[in-house]
Amino acid sequence: MDTHETSELVPLKVHGVLPDPNTETQIVILRDERNSEILPIWVGAAEGNAIDFALKGVTPPRPMTHDLIRSFTEHFNTTITRVVVTDVKNSTYYASIHLQAGEIERTVDSRPSDAIALALRTNSPIFVTQEVLKRRGGGSLEAWLERFEAKDFGKHQV
Amino acid sequence: MARIKRGHTQMITQMKVRGLMFDPYNNAYIVILRDEDNAEMLPIWVGKSEASAISFALENVAAPRPMTHDLMKSILDAVEAKVISIVVTDLSDNTYFAKVHLSYEDSEYSVDSRPSDAIALALRTNAPIFASEGVLRKQTSEELEQWLENLKPEDFGRDET
Repeated sequence: MDTHETSELVPLKVHGVLPDPNTETQIVILRDERNSEILPIWVGAAEGNAIDFALKGVTPPRPMTHDLIRSFTEHFNTTITRVVVTDVKNSTYYASIHLQAGEIERTVDSRPSDAIALALRTNSPIFVTQEVLKRRGGGSLEAWLERFEAKDFGKHQV
Repeated sequence: MARIKRGHTQMITQMKVRGLMFDPYNNAYIVILRDEDNAEMLPIWVGKSEASAISFALENVAAPRPMTHDLMKSILDAVEAKVISIVVTDLSDNTYFAKVHLSYEDSEYSVDSRPSDAIALALRTNAPIFASEGVLRKQTSEELEQWLENLKPEDFGRDET
């Protein structure tokens, strides 16, 4: 990680997963530690469930897809050092997964949903760039938040 | 951590993914595996997202963003791990079990997986798919035939690769 990148990264926690009442998708709510920033990311149902399972500590009887990925990294002594939400273009968010295997460091392109599902399973930190936070589109966020009642948040809060 | 010796202790049969079908009775998808001679058939029930992961690979569709199994492959590529084969190893209480065999550095590893994930990965890495003799014997052929009788021929044609 170069210092320039470090200075622009904001650590985020996964606050919860909400079903989007208007579509079949789910929304992952990311917040910074001071709760001053909120980043909602729309994800597919399977990815939303994968994140929700990890948040709630649910262990399914058979390994789910992200459990299998974690299993691979464990077998190969590969550490996921961090995941970063790096970009947003046309409402599509981009992420990268940073891996370390011994001396070797690699970065892999990922959807944020997979990156987050994996980070939660490996206790890896989640970051977003300042740039993405700036460009996430505040207006639509406000409108979106208004559609949820307070009880929806309470129910899914972790 | 399971390190396996070269070769398999159990008899295994190489299978091909013949197609993917929707099972309206169970509201699930079925991956149809067959051996080269079409003598053996193994249907595996999978969820919707796993079915779509397999379907994308079968039809060679590249999603605009990496899907979860594409990411799985990217991570294996990044650390230079190679998928040697996948084996559907067991059937117990209607649940199928699989192993993904990989080589990493100078060792071989065997990792527990659902068959759906193992197959989705095998199709992306051109790794051979096997089923153990035990699984092929265990699956109740009568039940399968009964189920197949319920299917119309066009159901097969539509999704066959």
